[in-house]
Amino acid sequence: MPTISIKKKDLESLIGSSFSPQDIEQHLQLVKGELKGYDLKSDELKVELSDSNRPDLWCCEGIARQIRGKLRGEWGDYPFFGSNNSKKSGQIIVSADMREIRPYVGGFTATGMNVDDEMLVQMIQTQEKISEIFGSKRRRISIGIYDLSRIRFPVHYKTVPPEAISFTPLGFEEKMNLREIIKDHPKGQVYGEILKGMERYPILVDSRGDVLSFPPIINSREVGEVQAGDSALFVEVTGLDIRLVLLALNILAVNLHDRGARIGAVEAVYPYDTGFGRAISIPCEFTKPLNLSLRDVERVMGERLSMDAVSGLLGDYGYRVKKQGESLEVTPPPYRDDMMHPIDVCEDIAISRGYNSFKPVMPSQMTVGGLSDIELFADLIRGHMIGSGFQEIISNILTSKEDILYKMGLGEEKAIEVDNIMSISYSVLRHWIIPSLMRVEAASTESFYPHKTFETGEVAVYDEAGNLSSRTLMKCAALISHPAANFSEAHAILEALMYYLQIECRLVPGDHRSLIDGRMGWVYAGDEVVGLIGEMHPRVLTGWDIHMPCSAFEIELDKLLRIYKVATS
Amino acid sequence: MTKDETRNIVDSLHPLEVRLLLAFEAGKAIDDSLLISRASVEQAQKDMAIGWLLAKAIVEVTGETVERIVALTEIGERYRDQKTPELRIYQAIKDNPGVNMSGIREREDLDSTEISAAIGALKDKGIVRIAQGGRLEITDESPLSEFEDIQILISAVATLGEVNLSELSQGEQVIIEGLHRKRGKAKGVFRINEKVSRTYTLADLGAKVHAEVLQRGKPVDEISQLTPEMLKDGSWEGKPFRKYNITLPPPRVTPGRRHPYKEFLDSVKDKLVAMGFEEMRGGLVENEFWNMDALYMPQFHPARDIHDVYYVKGPKSAREIEEPFLANVSKAHYSGGDTGSRGWQYRFDVDKAKRLMLRSQGTAVSARTLANNPKVPGKYFSIARCFRYEQIDATHAQDFFQIEGIVLGEEINFRTLLGLLELFALEVAKAKEIEFLPAYFPFTEPSVELHVRHPKLGWMELGGAGIFRPEVTIPLGVHVPVIAWGLGLDRMAMVALDIHDIRDLFSANLDMIRTKRTHWL
Repeated sequence: MPTISIKKKDLESLIGSSFSPQDIEQHLQLVKGELKGYDLKSDELKVELSDSNRPDLWCCEGIARQIRGKLRGEWGDYPFFGSNNSKKSGQIIVSADMREIRPYVGGFTATGMNVDDEMLVQMIQTQEKISEIFGSKRRRISIGIYDLSRIRFPVHYKTVPPEAISFTPLGFEEKMNLREIIKDHPKGQVYGEILKGMERYPILVDSRGDVLSFPPIINSREVGEVQAGDSALFVEVTGLDIRLVLLALNILAVNLHDRGARIGAVEAVYPYDTGFGRAISIPCEFTKPLNLSLRDVERVMGERLSMDAVSGLLGDYGYRVKKQGESLEVTPPPYRDDMMHPIDVCEDIAISRGYNSFKPVMPSQMTVGGLSDIELFADLIRGHMIGSGFQEIISNILTSKEDILYKMGLGEEKAIEVDNIMSISYSVLRHWIIPSLMRVEAASTESFYPHKTFETGEVAVYDEAGNLSSRTLMKCAALISHPAANFSEAHAILEALMYYLQIECRLVPGDHRSLIDGRMGWVYAGDEVVGLIGEMHPRVLTGWDIHMPCSAFEIELDKLLRIYKVATS
Repeated sequence: MTKDETRNIVDSLHPLEVRLLLAFEAGKAIDDSLLISRASVEQAQKDMAIGWLLAKAIVEVTGETVERIVALTEIGERYRDQKTPELRIYQAIKDNPGVNMSGIREREDLDSTEISAAIGALKDKGIVRIAQGGRLEITDESPLSEFEDIQILISAVATLGEVNLSELSQGEQVIIEGLHRKRGKAKGVFRINEKVSRTYTLADLGAKVHAEVLQRGKPVDEISQLTPEMLKDGSWEGKPFRKYNITLPPPRVTPGRRHPYKEFLDSVKDKLVAMGFEEMRGGLVENEFWNMDALYMPQFHPARDIHDVYYVKGPKSAREIEEPFLANVSKAHYSGGDTGSRGWQYRFDVDKAKRLMLRSQGTAVSARTLANNPKVPGKYFSIARCFRYEQIDATHAQDFFQIEGIVLGEEINFRTLLGLLELFALEVAKAKEIEFLPAYFPFTEPSVELHVRHPKLGWMELGGAGIFRPEVTIPLGVHVPVIAWGLGLDRMAMVALDIHDIRDLFSANLDMIRTKRTHWL
């Protein structure tokens, strides 16, 4: 989740007190934040925020707000909420064809402040974190900020053909049409995917026809370049989900308000329903109150809390609380929309009081522990192999076809492969274990001989009929390497293992391209193949750059366990 | 050096060492050849035993000379039996007047280069000349003695086997130098080997040891290795056993052994079982439904991206998703269903839910357990191999173990959650100082991070946990609160194993694996 950079001084001035970095670390618990670093010279704090449902906390203003509320009981007065009837600073008129393209938009104005360098940096950081992470890389929401003085309301949110309109995008000198922006502008190349397949593109223009931006790609350079020294802004958000659009606007509005701006409402007028009516005055308090009973709280927390305690703790955390008998009606602040269930409120009660103020209680209900049959069986075999003088190995399961097929002398085989490959070295799940032991062998030619290694572990095999087209199996492989390593030595180990497992096995000569012809056998239990054994082919050894004879076997534990259960029942 | 210590040394001497020491005289130097003859040992035995004595500082080297030892080559041995080509050709000309080169070739078993070289030599000395028609004629016999001297020298060297070059006369030395096999030359009559000959004296320690050895006299017949035959025929009786120097390092063995990291995981497994946890298992390949959807991670969640998890190439999708879980979970996402939640409020995409991927979190195993009639009360754990789409470096491996689990029961609440974590801190990390921090996981509420003060690492995050959201448990048919917990133990394992790169937990370096020592208990 996001890591943000903020200035300690900025945070302190927004809270209204100063702190040591240790204090800040402590207070960050209130916002599920972790202090990743503090640079004394630049006064920069690096904070990682873990709650992906609280974008209001991904900025200096939000962190300061939560800490200030808890420490000083001061919750900002945000008069612009619930003022649906007051004077509007402007209007956005949505055209009907937006419904299928990018249906929602909203905006507000901020005036009466002075945008300084630090504020600008913070504003851009917030805009970026919210649209990238919360907005799924601008797909679900994207944000535009403009110099208000250059805009004449009403603003129109409509679609146009890709070549119908040209404007100068941020970062460029000349005018481009929308198709050219998608193709040639760096932002178009990154975010153009969002509009793929569309015949008409969204555009925001003002009443004079000046382009504000081409959402969600890029702002116009003339109107949409905010600079230090600006004193009036227009902020808009477009997106696929009305709640996210409203939430993002509310967060941006309270942030600017906390820095001294006057927020002016802008009305978005739709020709279709939004779930919040056809005309929405924004910022807008859109979340509904939740009902919470003291019994719910007690059940979750494991402790009886009084009405006053709960109401006080929630008040300190930014909620509005109304007491109703044994229940509370709680309204989260308008810049939060993460309350899906009353359980979410319970966590805030605990955070507000401090997790460490709760006394841990040991769960006392009796349960019987134990391992799965396959794990017990694998442990049995591990014990035997170790007793036979073998060194246990654990290897990565995600490996390469080179290792599990080609270097083993095998051709193409159906394996569980990765679609979005990061590196060819980690692109397929192993389906057998001998290659893992060969990898160890190849890396250990300097190690004292003899080498006797084994691994019990999981592999994945292709399974055409299975629901997931694959099965996870447990296998065990053993490898012997020294100047006189041969079939007989491996056979003796396998034979002894099978004796103790009480499994009747026989070897049937066969062909396997990893192993020397005439010195290879399939291990049969009844009429089922449960493994293989043989001397590694010199061509395979050479391919791995191993200069020592090796013999090996590999057995399937799932099959053997089934037979073992019958044999020992 | 006390008397006892000297005795101990003498007791542990090898019989060969004793034989060599008996050949020494106090205060006098002795050289290799004298040592061999006095001790009547083989050269190789002398080499071995003198090496031991030098290593123990009983004797020391006082001088070193390089001797040049002359012996016959194979050609030399042939010339000894058949005489040199020069003498043979001289004789052939004498016996067959008028013979030419090819006549010689027919008569003598010599190759043509030997013949022409020998005739050339005889001609140079003026013994033979080539007359008209290639006929060979003897002109002067007197210089032939030079070749006869060579023949005598060959015989002399043959008789002695090896001769020290310096013991020969000046003239003989000149002959040998002229006829020995030179580097790069195939043929030669004599071989000269350089041999280092050392002289030794008793060192300070050796003087005492020597005195003790002399006092004890010639060694009696000591038993070295006790054999089955000795036991059978009783021949060991009455004989002393040679005492070993048991302080010498033994030969190296490589015992069968658990993998050090697996040993750690085993200890965790044992502790969890002892705490009443039952093991659960799952597959390496999952669909998004069980890996994410069932855990109430919305389909647009930032961690559900091709840059976060590995997807399977083909087939790309599961055939079906088990009902009623698909219906319940998709409802929970859309509207909350009957969970008391308002849900994520988006249209659930069944195709996305079916997408196959490599399991990215052990919680997927927990989700399947919840859907499979878990015991109530019940405690479960898994040590599951997981895969994440991450750049591989010292802190990220391509696959890794997650240690996760669940606890189901009517008694589960925030305080019992903290109680369980306290138990983990104490049992797994032996940490008495702990701290609980608010945390975020998409599938739990409340969520908590467990920090402990580790005896070596200081404050560290040991794990994360929480109570599963109702949107997780109710759609899977579970109607009691459930703790979900996970422990991050790799850092502890790395410290205990003294490794600094997480990839080394799955190292392919056998030497490292064999030599790591562990101390988990």
